[in-house]
Amino acid sequence: MKSNGKTDRPSILARVLQIGYREKGAAFVFVIPFMIGFLIFNIIPMVYSVVISLMDYNSFKPMNMIKFIGFDNYTRLFHDPIALNAFGKSFLYALFYVPGLIILSFLLAILLNRTFALRGITRTFILMPYVANVVAVSIVWSILLDPFGGPVNQIIAKFGIEPPLWLSGVKTALPTIAGINIWQSLAFQTIVFLAAIQGVNKDLYEAADIDGASRWKRLWSITLPVISPTTFFLVITSIISSFQNYASVRMLTNGGPGTSSRVISLNIYEEAFTLNHYSYASAQAMILFAIVLVITIIQWKGQKRWVHY
Amino acid sequence: MGTLLRKSVFNIIMLVIGLLMVIPFIFMISASLKAPADVFVNPMQIIPEHIYTLNYETIFHHKYYFHWYWNSISTVVLTVVFRGLLVTMAAYAFARLTFPGKNILFLFLISAMMIPSDTTIVAKFMLYKYLGLINTHWVIILPAAFDVFFIFLLRQFFMGIPKDLTESALIDGASHYGIYFKIILPLAVPALITMGLFTFIWTWNDFISPFIFINDINKQLVTVGLEYFQLEAGKNYALQMAGACLIVLVPITIFAALQKYFVQGIAMSGIKG
Repeated sequence: MKSNGKTDRPSILARVLQIGYREKGAAFVFVIPFMIGFLIFNIIPMVYSVVISLMDYNSFKPMNMIKFIGFDNYTRLFHDPIALNAFGKSFLYALFYVPGLIILSFLLAILLNRTFALRGITRTFILMPYVANVVAVSIVWSILLDPFGGPVNQIIAKFGIEPPLWLSGVKTALPTIAGINIWQSLAFQTIVFLAAIQGVNKDLYEAADIDGASRWKRLWSITLPVISPTTFFLVITSIISSFQNYASVRMLTNGGPGTSSRVISLNIYEEAFTLNHYSYASAQAMILFAIVLVITIIQWKGQKRWVHY
Repeated sequence: MGTLLRKSVFNIIMLVIGLLMVIPFIFMISASLKAPADVFVNPMQIIPEHIYTLNYETIFHHKYYFHWYWNSISTVVLTVVFRGLLVTMAAYAFARLTFPGKNILFLFLISAMMIPSDTTIVAKFMLYKYLGLINTHWVIILPAAFDVFFIFLLRQFFMGIPKDLTESALIDGASHYGIYFKIILPLAVPALITMGLFTFIWTWNDFISPFIFINDINKQLVTVGLEYFQLEAGKNYALQMAGACLIVLVPITIFAALQKYFVQGIAMSGIKG
């Protein structure tokens, strides 16, 4: 085989280069590599997940021993108090996380929208947690919130208040994790809100000024309705991300104390990679996906009531 | 005078909010420079009385720490290169070329973004095992290269480049490859920096993929390595903090330098178009 030999017929490379002069052909060359990888790394796992969830691959065994068992993994789920509890914990977590994140990031965006001398440095500070490593963040918060002698409780004790147990408390573990995750993802939401607020047509505010509207009224009747599509987008994406908190929960509490912070993502990973219940874990993941989908669809239907395009 | 006072108060309030956000980092740096016994000394000293360097010396002599570092850097660089090429090509086609099935294909890609990545983790594990990717760095690089989010982002950017620029080149006989390499990519440098920056931060901070797909501790990346380091350090919080510091420092430094691109990128991703 000659690699660089010149022949009468154009080489494959030359033919591919020739295609570049035709729009459809070029599009094919540009899109195909991505689509092949997308098929392998996105579509096949998705289809395969459904297949696994219908099998009895719940222990190490050779592939030819694995049988289809229909929806048994799914029905089993509804008799499994640990899994049901984990779904409940995830909902509870979302109830802390999503409203907290949306409200705080909106307020922060309103504040950052004003011009002030220290704006640059403040913005840098607010963005920093977003780029920090999840394990590093978990380590530092675990130490800061150490219930016995940690710096936060040292300060709280000075005020004569009974210091909370934070991550070690049955009632406080889940909201504490939510708080730490809000702190870390606040920057993203804030910037998106800020961009939306800055995109609001200035004429609307001028008209409101002529009518003598108060600052509060302007916020309520102009800013909020105009940016509602952005709010909608952020609510949906933060609900989806609120179910994917495995890394931080594992690092901060590993589901404890007891099962008080054992959310569904943790449960799925434990079932799959600690107990080797691959099929059962996949069934739980499918249910999780279905729940996220249903929530998104409900939001989509319900958006007419409050989202203005 | 009234407005000046109000302005100062507002600045101070904002600075306090900003400082509240970075207190954990300040604590991290401060504790990493303390002797283990001094971390919880009450009242807390932000600036350590004696600078204690043994924590960092321990890290410099650690068996794996810089392996993890190097592994992460090489993985990040390869991810940026592969993703950069594959995603920009596809985004160019979606933004500037017409071909049959384009809109349906794009809708299909976008809807795949809605699938939470945890959903398919078991199937991915089995597939990667079958493909022989488990316990190599390719198991991180290849799946990350085909990321739909950045197609979405770059398509937006490419659509904003004036058509006149590319049309005159086409008339002059340039091929679409030439236009992509010589016109589109150079103009898209800000968007490419944004993509590189996000890729760097997300890959550097990812926990789940290396944790599930890489077994050998000397092949690990920084995030999972740091967890190993933490468990090894036991109750030595000062050492834990030093280990965390060196891993947080890199993205924060890069981010501080390129903050503008970061903010633009987030703002772009949040605005529908």
